[in-house]
Amino acid sequence: MSLDPVQVMKRQDSLPKTCPSASNGDSKASWDDSKDIHENVGSTKKPKPPKPENAVTIAVSSRVLFHTEKEQKVFEQQGIEEYLRYQVEHENEPFAPGPAFPLVKALEAVNNHLRELYPESEELFDIVLVTYNHANVGIRLINTINYHNLFIERFCMTGGSSPTGYLKAWHTNLYLSADTAKVQEALSEGIAAATMFMSEKQIEVSKTQLKVAFDGDAVLFSDESERIFKAHGLDKFFEHERENENTLLDHGPLKGFLEVLGKLQKKFYAKGHRLDCPIRTYLVTARSAASSGIRALKTLRAWGLEIDEALFLAGAPKGPMLEKIRPHIYFDDQMFHVEGAVEMGAIAAHVPYGIAQKYPHKKSTNTGK
Amino acid sequence: MLLDVAIRYLLACLLAYENKSFFLVIFTQALMAVNERLRNLYPDSEELFDIVLMTNNHAQVGVRLINSINHYDLTIERFCMTGGQSPIGYLKAYLTNLYLSKDSKKVQEAIEEGIAAAIMFKPDVESQLSETQLRVAFDGDAVLFSDESEIIVKQHGLDTFFEHEKQHENKPLAQGPLKCFLEALGKLQKKFYAKNERLNCPIRTFLVTARSAASSGVRVLKTLRSWGLEIDEALFLAGAPKGPLLQKIRPHIFFDDQMFHIEGAKEMGTIAAHVPYGIGQKYNKGKLIEPEKQQK
Repeated sequence: MSLDPVQVMKRQDSLPKTCPSASNGDSKASWDDSKDIHENVGSTKKPKPPKPENAVTIAVSSRVLFHTEKEQKVFEQQGIEEYLRYQVEHENEPFAPGPAFPLVKALEAVNNHLRELYPESEELFDIVLVTYNHANVGIRLINTINYHNLFIERFCMTGGSSPTGYLKAWHTNLYLSADTAKVQEALSEGIAAATMFMSEKQIEVSKTQLKVAFDGDAVLFSDESERIFKAHGLDKFFEHERENENTLLDHGPLKGFLEVLGKLQKKFYAKGHRLDCPIRTYLVTARSAASSGIRALKTLRAWGLEIDEALFLAGAPKGPMLEKIRPHIYFDDQMFHVEGAVEMGAIAAHVPYGIAQKYPHKKSTNTGK
Repeated sequence: MLLDVAIRYLLACLLAYENKSFFLVIFTQALMAVNERLRNLYPDSEELFDIVLMTNNHAQVGVRLINSINHYDLTIERFCMTGGQSPIGYLKAYLTNLYLSKDSKKVQEAIEEGIAAAIMFKPDVESQLSETQLRVAFDGDAVLFSDESEIIVKQHGLDTFFEHEKQHENKPLAQGPLKCFLEALGKLQKKFYAKNERLNCPIRTFLVTARSAASSGVRVLKTLRSWGLEIDEALFLAGAPKGPLLQKIRPHIFFDDQMFHIEGAKEMGTIAAHVPYGIGQKYNKGKLIEPEKQQK
């Protein structure tokens, strides 16, 4: 999995971050170039572009960042020419926020904190808009971004071809899209990805603290235990977990993302901000603590990953818990849980990975493989 | 009239100087593939790519050139062997839409005469390119557009640049040296769209700009629209390196005005062509070059 943040900048020496004052907008200069420009030109209001280091790149599609259901219908029912015409006609009308919007706002809030504490560092969140859309729609997207005061300077408008090819070039740490096929493609390329869904109900989330919740099996961890459960049933699963307590679980598609979140959290701890850290992580698993919890916790420990809050539900519904947590995003591999969460107004994303994709809504106890 | 309608594209004589000009061969093959599709759809039309080989050489070398061309199975029937004279006059006579050469002086002369031109660079590593779809990538400022914005950045800094772009959002940028070539490609693309081949079009264009989308992107998109030009894919990099993205795009050619980007592109296997136009030529990595030291 190419989620190791150290790999983010090798070989290239400029991968800038989204600074709110948009100093990453040098027209055509490299980071060295722009440094020299600032020296030659005198001081500007914007922070000096730093030398390249780790950035946590989140790629979002336009359909999850904004609410584009109406336009999507036009595209599906009336075809592409009508869709383009419609977009151009409504160019000056900004879109409403979509499911990933609160997340992006929270990421920017964290960036602000990070810049205060580490003004020279590049270890920040960087948001790239990666969309199927044609360049003509770009104007409406830019107008919307400016209207909502977001700082998204990097666009990839692929005019119909698959955007997943570009994700690796952007060293993407997380890709969010409304299209499951694209998400699956990204996952098979080793990029953490999830499908987000729009819901009518949306509970309010924090504007100052980024909260990310993860399911355990087939999200942070591989689906190996899930397979045993589905093939042999609960008892066999418990036995297996107990026997293998000290064997680490294999990693799952979102492990790398938790890792980069952890790196950023440690930067806050280093400056004495553990109690009011603007990033908080949650494990919300259907595992039972006494019967199968140790292996999960030991695995996390072995990976050097801390998780702030761990909820072992032993099969209880996740919806009410998530409603209390109010995460900016919750990752789960089972649509059943994602739908439950969304119904209660929580922002949930589906990770189409692992054996659960073959068993929608049913707990099968004896199937062959 | 034949010359008005036909789209012509000229190659420099690289075959004579190098054995392995694979990238030229691939490029020409892609153009020929497009021609074949065009002929299938419009058997009577002359709106095709036409390649003319321009060389400084004397007629003696002609034999070797022809042998090379036949060896690679290229359809290059027009030669201009200038025996030492400047080719610029002939370029104009041919109504050249694009002139590619390794000779920077000639390219600069061509640009000054209003002909789209660029200096070709061989990539450091080989990459697999499409044999059925011609893919052309352009930088924005000082390539498709004039260098007016570039001048503001270099002389007044980024803040002024962003302000200026926002204020003049609805005023189209002036055109740059490669605008007409994009236009010519667009004309051919529309012929495919007219026959319902939009999804299967054998020409694809890319904008790869270091501009920031939210801060300075609108003016670029509105300018293209006012020119009636469509571009298939637009990538706003906000300063990120172009190399990795170009490596994914795999264009047959990438035009940029800054050597810094050309070098980044060819390091990662992209065929890059330098457009020696505009204020970017006076700067090397942000510093003003002394006039004597100015390279191509």
